[in-house]
Order: sequence, then structure tokens, then C-alpha cells
Amino acid sequence: MASEVSQAQVEGDQPVGQSKSWIDYIQKDLPEHLDWWPYTLGAIPLTLFGLLVITGLLLTFYYVPSPDKAYESIEQITNEVYLGWFVRGVHKFSVDLMILFLLFHVIRVFLTRAYQAAGELKWITGSVVLLVTFAMGFTGYSLVYDNVSYWGMTVVTSMLGNLPLVGTPLLYLLRGGEEVSGGTLLRLYDLHTKLLPVLLGGLVLGHVIVVRLVGFVDVPGSRSFHPFYPEHTMLMGAVAVGLLVLIVDLVMIFPPVLGPPANPQEVASDVSPPWYFSAPYMWITLLPGPVALWSLLGAAGLFVLYPFVDRILVQRGWPMAIINAVVGAAVVGVVVVLMILDTRM
Amino acid sequence: MAVIHDDIGRRRFLSQAVMGFGLLFGLGTLALRFIQFLVPSPGPKRVGAVLIGAESRVPMGEAVSLDLSGHKILVLRTDEGVVAFSRRCTDLGCLVSWNKEREQFLCPCHQGVFDKTGRNIAGPPPRPLDRFEVVKRGEHLYVSIQSV
Ligand code: FES
Repeated sequence: MASEVSQAQVEGDQPVGQSKSWIDYIQKDLPEHLDWWPYTLGAIPLTLFGLLVITGLLLTFYYVPSPDKAYESIEQITNEVYLGWFVRGVHKFSVDLMILFLLFHVIRVFLTRAYQAAGELKWITGSVVLLVTFAMGFTGYSLVYDNVSYWGMTVVTSMLGNLPLVGTPLLYLLRGGEEVSGGTLLRLYDLHTKLLPVLLGGLVLGHVIVVRLVGFVDVPGSRSFHPFYPEHTMLMGAVAVGLLVLIVDLVMIFPPVLGPPANPQEVASDVSPPWYFSAPYMWITLLPGPVALWSLLGAAGLFVLYPFVDRILVQRGWPMAIINAVVGAAVVGVVVVLMILDTRM
Repeated sequence: MAVIHDDIGRRRFLSQAVMGFGLLFGLGTLALRFIQFLVPSPGPKRVGAVLIGAESRVPMGEAVSLDLSGHKILVLRTDEGVVAFSRRCTDLGCLVSWNKEREQFLCPCHQGVFDKTGRNIAGPPPRPLDRFEVVKRGEHLYVSIQSV
């Protein structure tokens, strides 16, 4: 009887005979502007995420998350295991490209203000995906356990430890003790290979579902439609193959390298993190601790909640399209300057 | 199966509310306990004096780096005597090293600089380096592991 009720509800909502089957979802019509590449940037990180899951799984077969074995096992993967260097290289470049394309995607959405009403949930799930991806990047390069990883772990966990109230428990939670130790490595390994991937997978799925349910942004002038399958799927497939070729080439040209092993007694002379943390790294170098910490947290919060900020400002009559262009350009400018500064120091 | 749709009376609502809160409280406590499980408790603080040797072991104007049961310290000898500093940078916990030419402690992580008295003079560090007390008994120097 329960099924009868739900059937009646479905039929109440839609004209009889029009209930959707999965074919309709697969052949859903997509607006024409999705043919233009800036509007397809979201599918690229999705492809890369898949590649990361596969190569990541492969790497866990050799990686040992203990302070005396971690570095050694990565050395083994890189130098001894058949195609180990290749798998590790693909994993590394996929992260780089995933973050890069997520950033492009965010910039596109930000500039076109595609997060406006009904799109808020798209933005929020997407922005959390970006933050979790950063967390994956951090935990991932910590696992290498070279000197940059070790001091990176120290610095990042101390930074979180400076938070009021939650700071100290959080520090102990992440480090598994007072100091960065084998326990820390194990915890970051668990985060990187279990908790965060599940979270990220869920968020990505949620983001895609929300995008399908809420629909794509209306772009003026984009009238005609093309079906998701086969046209759009073909396009995405072509992009995925292109990406794969690009990554394979990059790995061949720049095979993965390994820095000097972690040394808790001496800080490496160059502790610059991977490029995607380079800007925040310079930020905390240039500004006093609390200012740097709070400004980064504030920026992250503002970023996630931006659609609501936009709505409030629009009500006050602010020209948001122009403001977004200015803010976007300013942020990109600052980030680039910080990154250049990092290479100089 | 017939469902009886009677109005949820006050009693019923209250009893459900109490049960609901009880359940939430129970689950919340459990979650809290699980988090407590994950947060290790701080180990006991060890206090005591550690022999570091004769004063002459530390050359003038130089700093000797020691690891005393997890405390990484630098024992520095200047005209004013012997002082022991924690190597832990007060910014975000990297290790500082002594630069003899500049007579400063430098932190490579974010270019923090401390002078020879441990004062933070440049970069992000918010406060001076932690100091350990150095006691001299006869010819021997001891560092008491309990920052001052
Ligand atoms: S940790 Fe020493 S300056 Fe930041």
C-alpha cells in the first residue's frame, strides 16, 4: 500500500505517463553552451579523481606508513617496482592537474556567478570538494616522509594547534601525541587513504547530483540543446583521453623525484611546499601568526558561503558582476605574486 | 496493514520528544567518547637536571645542539655566560639554528630571526625562544628540563 501512495504522489506531480526513467537522465538535454570549454571544466577534475583513486589504490600495495619504512617504500616504488615510477608519477600529476582544473572551474563559476539562487548548493558542495582536495594534497605529500613532508606536518599541525579552544585537542588528534611522530604519519595515512577519499567521493557524487537536479546555469544566447548521451559523453571521453595522453607525457618528461629523507634534527634549507600551497605558505611567512591563520580561515569560510554574501550585496544594489571580476583578478594576482616570491626565497 | 491516524496527543509527543532527546544524548556521548579515544592524553612531564658537561665543552660564541629526552636545545656561550634555548621556533615549531656570523638564531621555515638573548626580532615568531635554566655545579653544567 505504501507503494500505491508513492505512485499516486508521483502521478500527482507529473502528467500521467511522463514519469522519468533512467534513460531520460542519460539522454538529458544539455544546453548548447556546454560545448564551450570553460563550461566543461568540472568534468576534468572528475576524470582525474578517478585516475587518482586507481593509482592511489595501486600505491597502497607497496607503501608502508611507518617512519622507518615510509621513505624507503617510496624509494622502492620509484626505483625498483616495475612501472612504480610511472604509477607514482601519474598519481602526482593527476593531483596537480586536478587542483589546477578545480581552480579554473571555480574561477569560471565565480566570474559567471553561476552560484546564484538555486545554485547555492552546487557552489557549497563544490567549494568543500576543493577544500577537501587540498587536505588530500597535504596528507598525500606528508606520506612521502621526506624533509619537506616532515616539516610541513610540523608547521601545519602547529598552525591548527594555535586555534582557540579546539586547537590543543586537534593538535593531539592529528599528531597522535605531543610531537610529530610515527603516530602522526599513521594518522595522516588513514586520513589520506580512508576517511578523506570516502568523504571526497561522497561530496563529488553529491555535487554532480545537485548539478543534475538543479540544472545548469542559464547562459543568454544558449538556446539549443544536445543530449548528454551520446554527444556530450563523447566529448567528455575525448577530453579524458586527451588528459591521459597529457599526463603520460608529463610523467615521461618529468619522472617523479624524491627529496632528502625526513630529518627531525635539522630543517631542510628549502621547505617550500608543492605549488598549490605555495601562496598560503608565503602568506604565513609574511604575516604574523594569528593574522595569517585567521585570514586564511576567514577566506575559506567566505569562499564557501559566497553565494549568500553575493545575495546580500545585490540587495544593497552592488554591481556584483563587476565586483566579482575585480575580486577574482585581485585574488589571482595576489596568489601569483606570492608564488613568485616563494620561488625567489 | 491499516495505519491508524489518530492525533498525536500531548502525552505522545512528550514521550517521543523525551525518547528522541535521550537517543541523541546517548549517541552524542558515544561520539564524544570515540573522539576522546582518538585524542591521546599528554604524557607526564619529566622534570630534572641533565648534565651537559664542562663549560669548556661549549666554545665561545658557538652553540651546541643537544637532544635531551625529546627536548631539542641549543646551549650557547657568550660573554654573558652560558644559556640554553629550546630550538623549537615559537612560530610554528620548526627548529632554529645558530648563525655564528650574524649572532642570531634563524628559522628556515618562515625566516624567523631571534637575537642572541632569544628575543624574536624578525619574521612571524610571536615571542622569544623558550629558555632552560642552566646551573653550574663545580665545573659541570646542568640544564634543568623545565622551561623558565
Ligand atoms: S616556524 Fe619558525 S618562522 Fe615559522
